[in-house]
Amino acid sequence: MSPLKITARDATTGPVVEITGELDYASATQLREQLAALSLQPGRRLVLDLAGMEFCDSSGITALLAARTQALAAQAEVALAAVPGNTMRVLRIVGLDQIFALYPDSDTATRA
Amino acid sequence: MMCRIGQQPEPQDAGGGRTSDAVFAALLEDSAEELYEFAPCGYLSTLMDGTIAKINRTLLDWLGLEREAVVGRMRFTDLLTVGGKLYHETHFAPLLRMRGEISGIALEIKQADGGRIPVLASSAVKHGSTGEPLLIRTTLFDARDRRAYEAELLRGRKAAEEARKRAEADRARLQEALAVLQQSLLPDSLPTVPGVEAAAYYHTASPDRLGGDFYDVFPVDGKRFAFFLGDVCGKGPEAAALTSLTRYTLRAAALHDPDPVAALTTLNKVLHERYAGSGDPRYCTAVFGTIEPDAATGEAAIHLASGGHPPVLVLRADGTAGYLPTPGGLLVGVLPDARFATAGTTLAPGDTLLLYTDGLTEARVGEDRTSLYGDDGLLRFATGHAGRSPHALIRALTGLLDGFGDGLDDDTALLALGVPTSSSLSSATRSH
Repeated sequence: MSPLKITARDATTGPVVEITGELDYASATQLREQLAALSLQPGRRLVLDLAGMEFCDSSGITALLAARTQALAAQAEVALAAVPGNTMRVLRIVGLDQIFALYPDSDTATRA
Repeated sequence: MMCRIGQQPEPQDAGGGRTSDAVFAALLEDSAEELYEFAPCGYLSTLMDGTIAKINRTLLDWLGLEREAVVGRMRFTDLLTVGGKLYHETHFAPLLRMRGEISGIALEIKQADGGRIPVLASSAVKHGSTGEPLLIRTTLFDARDRRAYEAELLRGRKAAEEARKRAEADRARLQEALAVLQQSLLPDSLPTVPGVEAAAYYHTASPDRLGGDFYDVFPVDGKRFAFFLGDVCGKGPEAAALTSLTRYTLRAAALHDPDPVAALTTLNKVLHERYAGSGDPRYCTAVFGTIEPDAATGEAAIHLASGGHPPVLVLRADGTAGYLPTPGGLLVGVLPDARFATAGTTLAPGDTLLLYTDGLTEARVGEDRTSLYGDDGLLRFATGHAGRSPHALIRALTGLLDGFGDGLDDDTALLALGVPTSSSLSSATRSH
């Protein structure tokens, strides 16, 4: 059980937010607040790098959806990179694999 | 200090030394008699019958009495309040007789003006050369400050106790309110569906947190019944509000059009409209279906649609079981136009349809609680129970959930619909 850690950096395509640790009921608010503080330009891409995410429950999924809503509102794109296997399974069940652009890692996600 | 007694101060002594010597000398001038009279505590000597033989000025001042009125005329107990007298007779005196001394006993003395002073009393018996008791020496310490402190402590404790009781009462009221709300999210009992046996179970992970799982079964027209089961995102009051909205929207939608995709589409519109613009997206997963029993064939036709919900299971009378896949159905409430996956099957006598929420498959198992029970685990369990009645299946699953212990940390809803074999009767009850 490791606490959620969020670090953001800028790539040529737009912000890349690395999410490590557990994204759950207790920590999802933290992600949403930090994402809300990001400024997104139209046409840019918000990449959520999930390589270090150890756990994601329905509150975590909600936070990812909130990120998507935020990006779309700014006329930006959203992409998930390096989705862990178990979360990928959940995304497939709930049909979100069709909604999010998915990339194997943040490198491919930040290539225009 | 004692070694300085009688010592002459050296002329070369520093000033500080001379000052302390002067203070010490002044102390020595304080005669034993004066110390006795004006000590910062009350002194009193009584004969063995309690008659006061000697008393110091300090105590006389506390009492507001003159020496002549006291010595040889009053007993120690005459100085005490009624309660003090009683305590003296029942505890103080007997203990003193037995032990020869007693200390730190809380008593109250009466003042001439009617006031009372709480004191801490200590007594010791003085014995003669042959060991016979001669008199009792008693010291009394003013305990007013201490009593006030204790009273303060007591008040503090009482206040804390009352706060605790209030908090407990509040908590009980809240639990009660939560329980009532929770019940409004789930049907009290399942309706009787002709030719179909229905059983359900709801596991609450925490009594404090309203659950986000839901299910229902209800008639939609003369032939069909609708059923649904799902899971809203999150926990707590917001999740409960969403659950409530979901449940009643689905019920109303089904009465208008019982087609599963139509019902989920209506729900999707309602949830999206309500939550998408709020900056706080909320959604649910749900399976909605209809069951149409055919009295002629003894079978029941199932039509269902899924919005992001794990696939339902079909347990056959012949001992097999399998998932009824509904891939690609989207979470309900996420997009304004969502696609839902449909599936259908026919239940023959002895077949059962099982709907569940992912609390079951996401339960952590194994010694270190790191692996998930999973779809495979559930399929194996279902295969082992294929051919059993919905009630028997739900009972078995309830046992399975109980066995997960603290590996099960999410709410879990179960709903089983089956066509009974000809030997069993149709019934509908909810297991608890």
